[in-house]
Amino acid sequence: MTILYDEGQQAIATESRRILEARISKDDLLPLLEQQGKYHQGFWDIAKEQGWTALAMPESFGGLELTLVELGLIAHQAGRSISGAPFLTSNFGAAKAIETYGDDAAKSRYLPALASGEMIGSVAFAAGADPLPIQSPLSFADGQVRGRLDGVVGGLYADVVIVLAEAADGAKLLAVDTAGAEKSFIDSFDNSRAFAALSFSGQSAIVLASGPAARDAALHILALQSVVTAHEQTGGAEALMEIARDYANTRKAFGQPIGAFQSVKHRIAELYSYVELARANCIRAAAAYGTDGFLLAAAAARLSATEAYDTAARDCVQIHGGIGVTWELGLHLHMRRARSLAIEQGSTLFWEDILVDELAGEAA
Amino acid sequence: MNHETDAYRAKAVAWLDSIAPKYGRDVREGLTVEEDLALGRQYQADKYAAGYAGINWPTELGGQGLTHIEKVTFEAEEMKYGLPNVYFGISLGMPVPVLMQFGQDREFVKERVVKALKGEEIWCQLFSEPSGGTDLAGLRTRAEPDGNGWKINGQKVWTSWAQYSDYGVIVVRTDPNVVKHKGLTYFWVDMKAPGVTVRPIRLAGGDSHVNEVFFDDVRITDDHRMSPVGGGFAVAIATLMIERYVATDSAGFGPPIDEFVSLAKSVKMNGKPAIEDGRIRQQIARNYAMRSGLDSITTRAMLMMRAGMTPGAEGSLNKLVAVRSRQKLSELALDLQGTDALPFNEHASQKSDWASSWINAPTGRIAGGSDETLLNTIAEKILGLPQDHRPDKGVPFNQIPA
Repeated sequence: MTILYDEGQQAIATESRRILEARISKDDLLPLLEQQGKYHQGFWDIAKEQGWTALAMPESFGGLELTLVELGLIAHQAGRSISGAPFLTSNFGAAKAIETYGDDAAKSRYLPALASGEMIGSVAFAAGADPLPIQSPLSFADGQVRGRLDGVVGGLYADVVIVLAEAADGAKLLAVDTAGAEKSFIDSFDNSRAFAALSFSGQSAIVLASGPAARDAALHILALQSVVTAHEQTGGAEALMEIARDYANTRKAFGQPIGAFQSVKHRIAELYSYVELARANCIRAAAAYGTDGFLLAAAAARLSATEAYDTAARDCVQIHGGIGVTWELGLHLHMRRARSLAIEQGSTLFWEDILVDELAGEAA
Repeated sequence: MNHETDAYRAKAVAWLDSIAPKYGRDVREGLTVEEDLALGRQYQADKYAAGYAGINWPTELGGQGLTHIEKVTFEAEEMKYGLPNVYFGISLGMPVPVLMQFGQDREFVKERVVKALKGEEIWCQLFSEPSGGTDLAGLRTRAEPDGNGWKINGQKVWTSWAQYSDYGVIVVRTDPNVVKHKGLTYFWVDMKAPGVTVRPIRLAGGDSHVNEVFFDDVRITDDHRMSPVGGGFAVAIATLMIERYVATDSAGFGPPIDEFVSLAKSVKMNGKPAIEDGRIRQQIARNYAMRSGLDSITTRAMLMMRAGMTPGAEGSLNKLVAVRSRQKLSELALDLQGTDALPFNEHASQKSDWASSWINAPTGRIAGGSDETLLNTIAEKILGLPQDHRPDKGVPFNQIPA
């Protein structure tokens, strides 16, 4: 697939940006930080209305049959506006897991509901410091899942969760219904992500993959979600670069705009390089889906996007001086989101290892 | 991908494969600069005969009449063979194209262009001076009216390949009484003319491709003039714009990342292969991600050119980002080898040898626009940030405090 956006794709980018900018502001997002377990309903309504939830899903199950490239463009715009809920990525990840590894019954059961957005899906492999642990904290026997998962993205609202669990005959990749599971909200620095701990007490699950294939599948799903998240991070970084630029052009000190001082203008020019490298890696990764180089490209996209968003958050606040750290200006919404997205789908430390393994061979 | 370009590339690769045994990096090993230059002239002549010189130049001047897409396609492949073309890079990159565009005597122009394409003549670019390189318009070399022509006095510096050059293009001050960029005029000069003295400068890495060039009462006729009197700055800027479409290298013209991975696999740290060390892994991952971003930018620019679009400004990032990271990675590669890194061959290629890459890296971060200048350009031209404070703005050149 080409890495040059066609007209249709450019239209998706323009239109999604227009809608998000018209309908979401920091005034909607700031209060969510202080509420427990509330996401921005308006954002999710837009996503459903516009068909973003169905974008990269198969037509036979109510999807629009577009690709990771188009979803990435939406995620980029969502990142610019700071998305009000984590489900765009998590629904996609859950649906891709079921589409790729599930049987027809599983697909019929979940995909149309995930595509319409009436059902919320999540993907949860992480255990603390390990985004993809060798040993899952969950167990699976007689078709039932038991155990506790911490820090599930969107977990508070998830109807179905894709997990890894240990069974007598090895690891399993499962789709678990959360009905009856205990969901406890995690009061975090970015509350609209609806992070939760999930305790399973014998919920029924569908097996998607078994043994070593289960872990490979989990890594693949994580990589797919990472590429979506990388687009979102790049969008956030781009927005911050522009905010910093605009402020440096208007704020004056010592009789000139602060952007005329090289310590400030070079910092912003460096942000431009982070953003463009991340964007270029994102396009490459999205277009590489389905090829041998996908995992390597996904890791590169993830690394450069995390670096771009974190750096932009740090430097944009710094360029603003005192006003930058106020609650009201809301730059901390980006600071918080830069960090939550950096942790979701595995941190930089994890993806560095994946990248080097891919580049140098597993034996390394 | 575009089939025509693929076919062009395949043909180019076939030709390059055929000449590589005669001119490639293995043959060049151990040659003196003079021997290598002589080999380079032969290569350039073969290249001309095969139709790969002046790819996007007009046919009436000896070029191939194709587009910059074919040019960049060929260059990207040519770069992989380690061919002796470095001596002609500046010559064919800037001075000769400017001559094509602005030279008055068209017969003379055609003769020069063909000889330059064949490697028989080399042109240099006399821009930088001891008093400044980035501040081009602040140059001090002057030309005064002299009969029907001009008389040049002053000094240029960092002039690449001047010692082998037959001609040069030069920007000089013809009027010190006006603001600095309005008093400049653009000429070509015969580098063998009386009064021109070239002194090579040995650089830190040991080689001497740059020079000081002195002009003592060098007399030229007015037909050497390539700009209106006082209009030289615009031509100088046009010169710098010609090279927008050149093949870039995400390795910053240092060794590829695969070389570093091989090194990390072969060297042991604490009894284990260095590739297992987290610090080394982090640097590999970061460098790879950065380079893959640059490669993707380059690929996208090529696709845009093929589609008849203008590539984005992000293409300007390559030099800034690639060279400084090459510098650091080269340091780390030397660290990895420890005392085994100490033996030094000053003639080794900076594209395959880490010490050579390290010691020559500063040149890459300074020549052709320093990192700081590039950051200013990105900030001002792409992002719309204000210019720096410039105390010499609007002041006649001869009243700028020295």
